[in-house]
Amino acid sequence: KLGHPSELPPEPAPNYEGDEEFLRRVHHVLLEVEVLEGALQCPDSGRRFPITKGVPNMLLSEDEA
Amino acid sequence: RPALPLRCRGAAPEKAPSRRPGLAKMSAAEPGRFFCTAGRGLEPFLAREVRARLGATEVDCVSGKVFFRAAAGPGELRKLRSAERLFLLLKKQSPLPVSGNKGKMLHEIKSLVVEEPKYWLDIISVWRKLYGHKGKEDNVSQENPWAPKRKSEEETNIASKRQKMEQVRAVVSEECQGEAGDRCVVPERMSDQECQIESKNSEHTSKGSGENPTANEQLSFSFRVSCRCSGAIAKILTSQEIGRAIGIALMKQCGWRADLRNPDLEIFVHLNDFHSVVGIPLFRLPLANREYIKTAGLRSTVAWAMASLAEISAGALVLDPMCGLGTILLEAAKEWPDACYWGADISDSQLESADGNIRTAGLMDKIELLKASVKALPLPSESFDTVISDIPFGKKFKITTDAQLLPDILREMERVLRVGGTIVLLLSQDLCKRMDGLTKCAGSDSPEATADGNSEAAPAKAPSVDGNSSSWASGFGESFLSSRRFGSLVPDGVFGVSLGKTDAFIHKYRKISAAGNW
Repeated sequence: KLGHPSELPPEPAPNYEGDEEFLRRVHHVLLEVEVLEGALQCPDSGRRFPITKGVPNMLLSEDEA
Repeated sequence: RPALPLRCRGAAPEKAPSRRPGLAKMSAAEPGRFFCTAGRGLEPFLAREVRARLGATEVDCVSGKVFFRAAAGPGELRKLRSAERLFLLLKKQSPLPVSGNKGKMLHEIKSLVVEEPKYWLDIISVWRKLYGHKGKEDNVSQENPWAPKRKSEEETNIASKRQKMEQVRAVVSEECQGEAGDRCVVPERMSDQECQIESKNSEHTSKGSGENPTANEQLSFSFRVSCRCSGAIAKILTSQEIGRAIGIALMKQCGWRADLRNPDLEIFVHLNDFHSVVGIPLFRLPLANREYIKTAGLRSTVAWAMASLAEISAGALVLDPMCGLGTILLEAAKEWPDACYWGADISDSQLESADGNIRTAGLMDKIELLKASVKALPLPSESFDTVISDIPFGKKFKITTDAQLLPDILREMERVLRVGGTIVLLLSQDLCKRMDGLTKCAGSDSPEATADGNSEAAPAKAPSVDGNSSSWASGFGESFLSSRRFGSLVPDGVFGVSLGKTDAFIHKYRKISAAGNW
């Protein structure tokens, strides 16, 4: 999803805690990758919040607020 | 009049005189007497800081200054965060007697500053050994040895060009910040006659070896006198007159030349109704100028003071929901790096500058930025340990916070804060006054104290019914946000500070329970 589709499975495997390789990739994605351009997506509403130059825009429009 | 030769600065009189080169220590285990200038209102913060950071003793706070004694090297001294400038204290005496006689007063003042050349040589050599030569560049490391010969030739060329009666004055504006009642003075100007003396001196080149450069340094040594006076003395003499008199006297006595722009030594003289102080700044730039901040917003000393009130502990989550250029977050993250910092702002340009600041400071992994509105924070309730913010106000800012927005802003701040957490806000005098309408005075129970939009305070909403007002008066002023309006927020201190041209108040609150449970 973050441009590394081939590296990460869509969901963690059952024994992911023991899978070094997987953990390393997740660590990398969570803590070492900085999204400069992209989007955050709300898992409930699906609403996308664009990310520009590393900063997500979380402003709501008039109707949304 | 007590003179303070260097050998008395040590803890015990039997201690070896500091001027002997072999005994001067680079790590400065030897206690020294210092003072810092501080913005008005920050003196208590600075007093606390020198004790905590430097183990300082004999801490003496007066308006705009904190005096102390500490055994600290330049590296540690440089870390002071709530000070404007740092000086080596040379003399601190009772105020000069004021008479109508200018000549007599000038004589008194001169005798305060002007000593035998040897006195100054001692001071300078110790100062250099302990604190390093400041050099003409500010980022020269303290350890660089001074090379008198090379420098003096350069200086001769540069200085003689400069001495051609430049009209430009070096303005020491940082020192003026927040010092009420003081006349901020530019360094003295030298007359034509004096300039000729200077250029004659500066023709001497020195063949100084590292061993004993002092005699040769003296010949091409440049200085500047920064004089400030206020109170009764200022009615008789101006700072310029005093500065000039001292400068001339020092030149005659020591053979130095004056250099307004880039002196080797700056001598700071401050005369007021409380004391007469002479000192030497240890660093060329004020401590308040942070090398890790690219674009300055709020004065860094005030930002640090606010963060110091917030009780940031390891692992804490800290939010500034109106972060602007991020100054508060930068100061906090530098001092308390074991916490997580979040900043939000609605302005793209501010966020961009904040991002630049964070990168310059190397704090990318500590500070996270969001484009978001403080009135609708995309953050879970009770998720932060502390909220710190400088609420925009004043003509300087494009967005001036309307008093009407305050309740919304505070509501969101309170929501995202966990119980037991702290809020530290910087508010203008205006905002404080307007917020009065949100609250009731202690003792009065009538619910109609807050009007709906028509009162001068113009708050939009009626207060909640439960009412123990807990307005709390500190030494500096009153709390303007009682727990009536925001039931769970309890005031925990108000501190008046100067922001240079304006005054403001730091308010601290603690959340004692979830809003619904109050």
